[in-house]
Amino acid sequence: MIEDIRIISRRFDLPQSHTLAVARQHGAYQSVKTLTERTPESIIAAVEASGLRGKGGGGAPTGAKWRLMEGDFDGRPKYVVVNADESEPGTFKDGHILSKDPHLLIEGILLTCYALGAHDAYIYIRGEYYERQQILQHAIDEAYAAGILGQSIMGNDYRVDLTVHRGAGAYICGEKSALLESMEGKRGHPRLKPHQKEPEWYFGNPTLVNNVETIATVPFIVTEGAEAYRQYGTERSPGTLLFALSGHVNRPGVYEAPFGTPLMEYIEHYGGGIRNGGTLKAVIPGGASTSVLTADEAAQARLDYESMQGLGSALGTGGIIVMDESVNMVEALKNLMAFYHDESCGQCTPCREGTGWVDAILARILAREGSRDDLKKLLDISETMNGKTVCVFAPAASSVIDAMVQKFETEFLRYLDTGGAA
Amino acid sequence: MSTPSVTITVDGAPIEVNPERMLLPELLDKGFSIPHFCYQESLGSDGNCRMCMVEIAGKKRPQIACDTPIVTGMEIRTRGESIEKVRRDILELELINHPVDCPICDQAGECSLQDYYMEYGLYQGKVDKKEKHPFDKHIDLGANVMHDQERCVLCQRCVRFCRDVTHTDELCVAGRGDRSYITTVPGEKLHNNYAMNIVDLCPVGALTSKDFRFQQRVWFLATSPSVCHGCAKGCAIDIDHAKSKYHDDTIYRFRPRKNPEINGEFICDAGRLSYKETQTNLLKTCHIRKETLPEAEALDRWRAILTEDEYPIVVLADANLYTEELAALQAFARTLHARLYAPLEAYHDPAFGDDWLKSPQRAANSEGVKRLGIATEMPTINDNTLVINVNHPDGHRTANRIDLLTHQPDEDTGRVPARLTLPIAPWVQSSGHLINEDGIKQYCEQVLRRNDPIPTLIERLKQVTDEEYDKHFDNRETAS
Repeated sequence: MIEDIRIISRRFDLPQSHTLAVARQHGAYQSVKTLTERTPESIIAAVEASGLRGKGGGGAPTGAKWRLMEGDFDGRPKYVVVNADESEPGTFKDGHILSKDPHLLIEGILLTCYALGAHDAYIYIRGEYYERQQILQHAIDEAYAAGILGQSIMGNDYRVDLTVHRGAGAYICGEKSALLESMEGKRGHPRLKPHQKEPEWYFGNPTLVNNVETIATVPFIVTEGAEAYRQYGTERSPGTLLFALSGHVNRPGVYEAPFGTPLMEYIEHYGGGIRNGGTLKAVIPGGASTSVLTADEAAQARLDYESMQGLGSALGTGGIIVMDESVNMVEALKNLMAFYHDESCGQCTPCREGTGWVDAILARILAREGSRDDLKKLLDISETMNGKTVCVFAPAASSVIDAMVQKFETEFLRYLDTGGAA
Repeated sequence: MSTPSVTITVDGAPIEVNPERMLLPELLDKGFSIPHFCYQESLGSDGNCRMCMVEIAGKKRPQIACDTPIVTGMEIRTRGESIEKVRRDILELELINHPVDCPICDQAGECSLQDYYMEYGLYQGKVDKKEKHPFDKHIDLGANVMHDQERCVLCQRCVRFCRDVTHTDELCVAGRGDRSYITTVPGEKLHNNYAMNIVDLCPVGALTSKDFRFQQRVWFLATSPSVCHGCAKGCAIDIDHAKSKYHDDTIYRFRPRKNPEINGEFICDAGRLSYKETQTNLLKTCHIRKETLPEAEALDRWRAILTEDEYPIVVLADANLYTEELAALQAFARTLHARLYAPLEAYHDPAFGDDWLKSPQRAANSEGVKRLGIATEMPTINDNTLVINVNHPDGHRTANRIDLLTHQPDEDTGRVPARLTLPIAPWVQSSGHLINEDGIKQYCEQVLRRNDPIPTLIERLKQVTDEEYDKHFDNRETAS
């Protein structure tokens, strides 16, 4: 049986949870009151010791990323940027934080800014999240009015200003360097990777970019301590994650769970099982960009980075898409590739042209004009897209193609041979 | 200071390279053939085309050489089945939405995409996408640049040139994914004075020059290295010309020729288009006042005036003349006991100048004039002075003069017709040195060899200063 653990989502179910009054009644901003009595180093050390991993999809250790911000950088200002561009299909957890508990995020931002010596923070929010942006902005306004944000945060001798920056609706702007390009007023194209470890740069100034949920986890770690966070999850994937459950389940939604929770138990417990008592066919475990798992693989899967990696997939954003037997995998892959085709930023040749070509081949197969050669072609184009671009968009699309075509090859072949007849 | 050097292994052979540069420019300099679109020497790496992939020992995947720092002892493979397949596959992707219309494309013959296509032998690719994405054709971007979007490989060299070099930012990428295209930002046209360089930078036929497109196939062109005469900057250029059937030797375009000390790889649009002036409106016949007369009679007259007239002589020289021509004029003036001037004020054009390649001093050899010690002020002249005006823009003020001109005089300016007017060859039909305003001396070869050659200035001077005539000048007085 699964035990409910609520670190991020503890205030989600309260009426008016997004308001300052309710949030404060239930513990918000406790950690900020006496913030300057702590050293910034103690906060970084706590985050490092907690083993917190970035919750935007990559799962990189947050502490190590924060350490890259250490140093003087010739006295240049440091910035904290929160990535709220959440656009991965099947992923809608950050939206929950923004609309249910924006003050948790603001609290996390205050702690992060203080720890890193930053005074200005930005939240880059997906343009389509209009309503959530309204709620967030309301919360920020409340926080300013209450002296929580601004010149001296809750009476501490430390300034933090927070600005919301709306994106214009591009998936790629969730990639941190493309996000910063966009914030600089340029086209959202990912930057070339640096040749050594370094922070991100916003107008040439050292910048931390973290996901909404990552920052929202910081208040718990600072208040309760690293060990309290580590008591959940696994040794290498400590803590919890807000998993977003969608697809053919009875109760889709956002439910927090410790890393390491068995995937099928999670689907049963929170999702109430497969819709209409149906049979599971496949699961996309961590947002559209992670490789599909067959029902057999899903039965072995646990919700942590290592387990998913062992199955040749990834935990990603924790956006779980459940598919029952009614799903036609050719159509499913076409649906996914239409997304990648539409969202490729167009910077690198393999991605720009590859995603469009794959989409066209799948359209042809669906139009009953495909041949068995097309499967080989899909895998060949996928190979050309994999690992040959600036960012990981194309490799992600590539892994989606490979997994679908290889794991459901018989279904694809049957579709091609019978012209789609069931 | 010597260039630092480390040893790396490329295709099995050790080579010495400069570790301060990225791998691609070093490999290109060493003569390795590595396809690339977005990397460009003056614009640097951008990393978007993904064509310059090489294999590096110890790296799981191929890497783009344009963004690979050099490390001592690294082992690189630029050839071999696997890396060539990677390049072929990426090149194939470039061609999905490309019309492959080389036979009607103006870039054919100097197109990187075409060259790589031939090199990687893509005669039977696997492209089967029936519908190419519809893009617009022959879009006038302004500044003589035409854009055919469907041929574009989106290397962004043009965007980067306008952003990083001219800082005018007229161009951008619009659209997304395989619908991306280059365009001017809303409400703007290309408006910088160097815009046509993006035609040279474009590796494919997406950007072409409105002036040059469809005028001549590039494989018919011969190239002569020369120097732009548009101003004192002296940008190095290549002059492309052809002598095709039924046509005389004709210049089709000026292109920048790399010279890191002067113009890098670029020239201004005014200089680029100044080729037209070298072959239009040329003076071909001799005149007395406004009447034409045969060359032989004109020659007699030329000799007669110089030997019989008693007037003191002033020679006004064009500061665009080659140093050799100026020196010949100096000798000529000495023989005639004449005084030589090359007044520079007439060439001063502040509106033309900028802080890059355009000098407000429009005379190509003003520095050569100064170094020869030729007077640069305008002398006081009246009709008791015989003026020999060698193509000087202000040389037509008095009636008592002989004109040696490259171009037909503009009658509208109210100029007084000269006693005698003789044609001389324009600079592209002659040769010699120029010294630019920074003191850099460059040679211009004779570009055009016309069927009806016009005498060069030096030939003209020889017509009256060979030994037979020299003695006539011994008793002349020097003009004051």
